[in-house]
Amino acid sequence: MKRLLAVAVFALFGVVAQAQYAQVNLTVFGMDCAPCAHAIHVSMKGIQGVNTVDVDLNTGLVTIKLTPDNKASMRQFNEAVEKNGFTHKDAEIIVRGKLTGTAAAPVLEVTGTTDRFALVPATAGLDIASLLGKTVTVAGVLPQAAKGKVADTLKVKSITEAR
Amino acid sequence: MKVFGVVLCASTLAASAMASDHGPVFGYATPVNSQGEVSCDAGIFGRGGTLGTQVSTGTGCGYGVTPHITVTAFLPVSFGSGALPESHVMPGGEWTAGASWRFLHSVTSVGKRIESTASLGVVVPGPQADSGILAGQHRAAGVAGTLASGYASRSQYLWFGGGYTRFAEAARDRRPDTVSWSAVYGYRPPKLRRGYDQWDYRGFAELTGEHTGGVRSHGAIVPDSSTTSVWLGPSVLAIFKNIAIEGGAQAPLYRDASEAVYGHEKVRFALNFSYLRFSGHNSSH
Repeated sequence: MKRLLAVAVFALFGVVAQAQYAQVNLTVFGMDCAPCAHAIHVSMKGIQGVNTVDVDLNTGLVTIKLTPDNKASMRQFNEAVEKNGFTHKDAEIIVRGKLTGTAAAPVLEVTGTTDRFALVPATAGLDIASLLGKTVTVAGVLPQAAKGKVADTLKVKSITEAR
Repeated sequence: MKVFGVVLCASTLAASAMASDHGPVFGYATPVNSQGEVSCDAGIFGRGGTLGTQVSTGTGCGYGVTPHITVTAFLPVSFGSGALPESHVMPGGEWTAGASWRFLHSVTSVGKRIESTASLGVVVPGPQADSGILAGQHRAAGVAGTLASGYASRSQYLWFGGGYTRFAEAARDRRPDTVSWSAVYGYRPPKLRRGYDQWDYRGFAELTGEHTGGVRSHGAIVPDSSTTSVWLGPSVLAIFKNIAIEGGAQAPLYRDASEAVYGHEKVRFALNFSYLRFSGHNSSH
């Protein structure tokens, strides 16, 4: 059922949204009060292409949904956290881009940005190699990076050819 | 040139510590503005005793230069003619400007952080005449430094802080040095740990203390002008997104001050309103 739902979600993204980053779920440490959350909300909304932002203070989860054809980069999301004095942890993202590299070392080039991630399967049985050269939609986890940096490896949970 | 230097320092360094927006209303705390954030405070601070009352109302503004450095300025206006001891926990008529640097910032998990903030600023006498023992004194600027450390979380807050203020001498008169300290405990009940689009409330128990040295007049220390006092009281902070309202009152726990000189100070209260404007500007693409 869960898998079916995931497929449905990705099919929907494939059809409706041509966004590069479609959704970013960022865990933020250090927010204790309403102004902290409001600051994050304002900063994220200041990024061109961000459609909606939801901040959950009790879980630290910041959910960012983006408009189609945005050019937002992962560095901007991280900076929006850092400039408010907080720390970003792992980010779960749904992103669209071109799959390049080799079968042994696939690379995702995020459409409309300079972001590039080496893809590593998070689960066994993921067929990444067969999609080389195609535009794909990837759901995965970007591990925490040092301040001012963006992780260069994306742990792939699922990957489908984008329409 | 000297005056220009002082003004420059006043505008680029900064006063501290008068807590507001995110923290307690009397005690020292660690929060600073986020980068690009402008905060504005307007408040009423009162002290009442047997030899009169003093009420200060003022506006303070802060700007986050970086995520951990904030420059601030506070311009109060004081009313009343109370004969009360010098205080830097409670604003008087002095204008202050300075900078706060959050030099330790450790985020341990969701909603939690441990941090320390140091502040340095200049204190300049305002246009109002002083009352009580300080009436008629020649006045000069001073410097104020504070240090605060603490823990913040979704449920509890704990801050400890201290400060020192020293004034220069003017025509053989000098306001007393002030050493102040505070301990603040804050609590947000489980039912109030809600979303940021709802009012955010928390309560504080604020313990503050001050020791003021002797007042120097015509080159000599005025007898019985030194004081020590400790105050305790509750305060409540309510925040909605970027607007904060906070109020509190304190009563004396311990008091060592000449009643002939200062009377018997019985109550301190504060009501503060804050507006926070966060920056949506992002530098890179």
